[in-house]
Amino acid sequence: MLFDSRPLPHRVVIPSDLRAARQIEEEIIRETEALGYSPQCAFAIRLALEEAMVNAHKHGNNGNPAQRIVITYDITPERAVVRIRDEGRGFDPDCVPDPTAPDRIPLPEGRGIMLMRAYLDAVRFNEQGNEVQLVKERS
Amino acid sequence: MSNVPSSADVLRIDVERRDDTAIIRLRGSANMDVAGDLRERLIELVDTPMDQLILDLSELQFVSSVGLGAIIAAHLRCRHHNCVVKLVAPPAEILELLEVTKLTNLFTIYGSVESALAAQ
Repeated sequence: MLFDSRPLPHRVVIPSDLRAARQIEEEIIRETEALGYSPQCAFAIRLALEEAMVNAHKHGNNGNPAQRIVITYDITPERAVVRIRDEGRGFDPDCVPDPTAPDRIPLPEGRGIMLMRAYLDAVRFNEQGNEVQLVKERS
Repeated sequence: MSNVPSSADVLRIDVERRDDTAIIRLRGSANMDVAGDLRERLIELVDTPMDQLILDLSELQFVSSVGLGAIIAAHLRCRHHNCVVKLVAPPAEILELLEVTKLTNLFTIYGSVESALAAQ
């Protein structure tokens, strides 16, 4: 699945702040639970949301609360689609080193993208690299 | 939208000292907004003299990479002091996360606090 820039029904703009990010994460998780997504599926979505939000805040917006994170999403009985956009310059996700390489396992950081890809059905970045699209089929 | 996560989501950190061992019990969710506090707390602990730090994960409901990073940071600081970090009884989802990240290559995982205490 390619990055899809079509509008999604829900759009939330928050300051680049982890507590604010946590609130929208909880809202999305509540929607998945209300639609009967399994606990394992909800865990995967929560994990991916955390990784994407932290990346947007820390790397995209350099932890600056004056910048914003834009979250758009659509939670249906079939799948959850979430896009998270920061105000940074973007990056090339293909240049991120493999955190499971033996010399990188002891490093405290660098696992976010790998975990998103491991737990979701699709992870796509826009061309600029400042927006990620997360897709998880319901299970 | 609720402004406050439910109390079940709050991370609780309980510390027990037994001789040269610190046993840390993590309860709840180590979400992104509390992982920094967890990291500071663990680093503060391992900077006190001890032989081993046992992290009881049996009641940990959620952790993301920033929470894992807090545990790794404690491990690195602990190793500097010739101390070892042991993980105990992670729930299935957390164990899978440790396996996916290959952190099972970095940490030894025990079934109980007692077995971690008994292991050399």
